[in-house]
Amino acid sequence: MSVRVSFYSIFRDLAGAGETSVSVAAGATVGDVVEAVLERFPKMRPMRKSMLVAVGVDYQRFDHALKEGDEIALFPPVQGG
Amino acid sequence: MRRELTITAGPIDEAVLLRARVVPHTMGAVVHFLGFVRGDEQGRPITALEYEAFERMARHQFDLLFDQAEKSWPLDSIRLVHRVGRVKAGEASLWVEVIAPHRAEAFAAAQFLIDEMKRVVPIWKKPI
Repeated sequence: MSVRVSFYSIFRDLAGAGETSVSVAAGATVGDVVEAVLERFPKMRPMRKSMLVAVGVDYQRFDHALKEGDEIALFPPVQGG
Repeated sequence: MRRELTITAGPIDEAVLLRARVVPHTMGAVVHFLGFVRGDEQGRPITALEYEAFERMARHQFDLLFDQAEKSWPLDSIRLVHRVGRVKAGEASLWVEVIAPHRAEAFAAAQFLIDEMKRVVPIWKKPI
């Protein structure tokens, strides 16, 4: 299945793009998508530990199973205020 | 509970916000907080901060925080304004108001909202 991935803040700078889409097997997890993204954009790899992941508008862990049509956002720790 | 969230690229007009304040006679405490952009970031001078939000998610996460605050304290009202885009040093980037029966609840809820916002609401800033 195809999953759309958006980048925010420094992640967009490191990727050189605001979004991408990756193909993963049915039943893939957030972690599988993150790995595919890091393969494509290796400059983001040092940020993996602090990376936050949302599916839709909710935070999810790397073991969360995805379904067709899910939209993922990857970003660094937030800094509002 | 009254709740108002504004995410705006325009300046925070405190006079307008204060005119819209409604304090019912059962409420004894209003706490409001203004966060300003400082002219330095980690010891280096800056002229502004550029704020970016993942707005759809930010609104949802603020809603969840407002829900938690409403469950935790007997609040009458939460109003919060956060700026996005370029905010010059010396300008306000955040305005929060909590109205509650007593000061302890109002202070605690305001502190909670700001602390949790900095942990979960997807907004970032870049020094200019």
